[in-house]
Amino acid sequence: MAKIHLGRNLLDHQLLDVNGRRCGNVDDLAIEGGPGETAEVTAILVGPGYWPQRSGWVGRLAGRLGGSKRIRVPWAEVKRVRSGVELRKEAPDYGLGSGDDRLRPLIEKIPGADR
Amino acid sequence: MRTLSSLIGRRVETESGIVLGRCHDLAANLTSTRLEVTALCIGRTGYLDRLGIGSRKHDEVSWSSIVRIDGGTIVVRDP
Amino acid sequence: MSKVFSLALGILAAIGGFVDIGDLVFNTAAGATFGYQLMWVIPIGVVGIIVYSEMSGRVAAVSGKAVFDAVRERTGFTVGLSALLASEVVNLLTLAAEIGGVAIALQLLSGLPYRLLLVLAVAGLAVVIWTIKLDWIERLFGYGGLCLVVFAVAAVKLEPDWGKVGNGFIPHIAQNNTLLYLYFVIGLLGAAMTPYEVYFYSSGGIEDRWSAKDIGLNRANAFVGYGLGGFLSLALMIVGGAVFLRHGINPEHLGTTALGAEEPLGKIGLLLALVGILFAVGGASIDTVFSGAYNVAQFFGWEWGRYRNPSGAPRFALSWLVLFVLALAIVMTGVDPVMLTEYAVIFSAVALPLTYIPILLVANDPEYMGRFTNGRLANTLGVVYLVVIMIIATTAIPLMILTNVGQN
Repeated sequence: MAKIHLGRNLLDHQLLDVNGRRCGNVDDLAIEGGPGETAEVTAILVGPGYWPQRSGWVGRLAGRLGGSKRIRVPWAEVKRVRSGVELRKEAPDYGLGSGDDRLRPLIEKIPGADR
Repeated sequence: MRTLSSLIGRRVETESGIVLGRCHDLAANLTSTRLEVTALCIGRTGYLDRLGIGSRKHDEVSWSSIVRIDGGTIVVRDP
Repeated sequence: MSKVFSLALGILAAIGGFVDIGDLVFNTAAGATFGYQLMWVIPIGVVGIIVYSEMSGRVAAVSGKAVFDAVRERTGFTVGLSALLASEVVNLLTLAAEIGGVAIALQLLSGLPYRLLLVLAVAGLAVVIWTIKLDWIERLFGYGGLCLVVFAVAAVKLEPDWGKVGNGFIPHIAQNNTLLYLYFVIGLLGAAMTPYEVYFYSSGGIEDRWSAKDIGLNRANAFVGYGLGGFLSLALMIVGGAVFLRHGINPEHLGTTALGAEEPLGKIGLLLALVGILFAVGGASIDTVFSGAYNVAQFFGWEWGRYRNPSGAPRFALSWLVLFVLALAIVMTGVDPVMLTEYAVIFSAVALPLTYIPILLVANDPEYMGRFTNGRLANTLGVVYLVVIMIIATTAIPLMILTNVGQN
């Protein structure tokens, strides 16, 4: 059992899948349980769709440019919290890293891309 | 369901109206299966605490003392 | 390869890579305008970049975080994004200036038209990055950049008044033309403490999987590489003072800088100077374009890596390609690369606190650094340079305006 701070130790930290692949940042956290109940973090929220609620006009502008993608990663999928947040499965299993996956076939058309 | 970002930055005051400060972070217990929120971290300087400047001392108000969350304010029981 | 050998290689590459177009322009111009009076600024700049790099390298080694990971985590989304935008704009200006510099050097060597060489330069650099392993790229450009040592030889051969040179190391403010003098102080410091070099260095450390035991290597690299590189800056200023001041020449063209080596050493001096400029600036442009891509990828959490093949990090690869295209567009407008360099250095100085402050904070945070937080020396220097950086950042633009970008 360890005491951590959600803002300092989790928010904006790197997400890593089971293979160590970088697949986004912790853009926000979902908390369930309100006043009078115990509250726990139930999911990690990832994606430009969550930026507008982060902070003011910069977040809204960035969100409009970045798109509306929103991904929920249930907290149970977190294997370990160290420098980054390590997940149990591969990025595509959560829908993460799709930007890279969609771009890859195009990049690979250029010779030398997989040297 | 609420988000972390919706809680950070909110003003925290007691039922009788005493303003304790702003919530700049949440403290939590991490186990192998759950991450349970235990307290609000309140600092007068807010953002500077997030940056890590100055003394790390801040006040913690336990989550269970929250009475209600409305508008932009978190209301806690009087100590 | 033994650690000593690879350290030596790293240092050689760092020397050749230390001097970029900002240093070439500002150091020579400073010598041409004020003789040896500004020599004292160079060691201050060198120590500054050593302090910044050592901290960033240590943060990378111990916490596994590169600069923009730390910036985002520490300052949050809004401030972090603003810092990212500012850094990318500065990066782009710097990249454009460097591409212009490469084209000018190629033009002087080949006689081909400038605009054609701009396109060839970018295409060539992109192909090199795409196909050649980074280790070989660093060696190629690092060693080629070592040709700049010709300026050190030239400086000695010119037999400057060494008494006056020595006096230049005593910090003072010129009574004549004070505003222009201060502009050069800011420019020299800004040119020495270029952030992109630090982003590149710390990201590379993470890719090389540095750990706590590499901290010594990190320090050696920073001290020796940048320290020796600082000597090249001194040489450029001496050449500027000994050749151009005497003739009343204001080196507004990169070619003029190269002529500074021709005067004492003849055609071979000129040739080595041009080759050195070509490789040093070309190598710098590779560092710059990667650091621009690193920052974006790190901030948004994408996969990144210069050792990876492009298909391993597609958005990262696209980022540096896009940066090259944008920089090419900027410099194709015909803007003078020397003027562009001055703007890039000044804006880079203004943006410096945005990334220096988070690194200073993280370097002091035991949660990230364990027992490797800043010791007293590192913190004393770290805070001293924080003050220096804040002074530079706040006075840079006013001085630029008041001196009409050094045209005064």
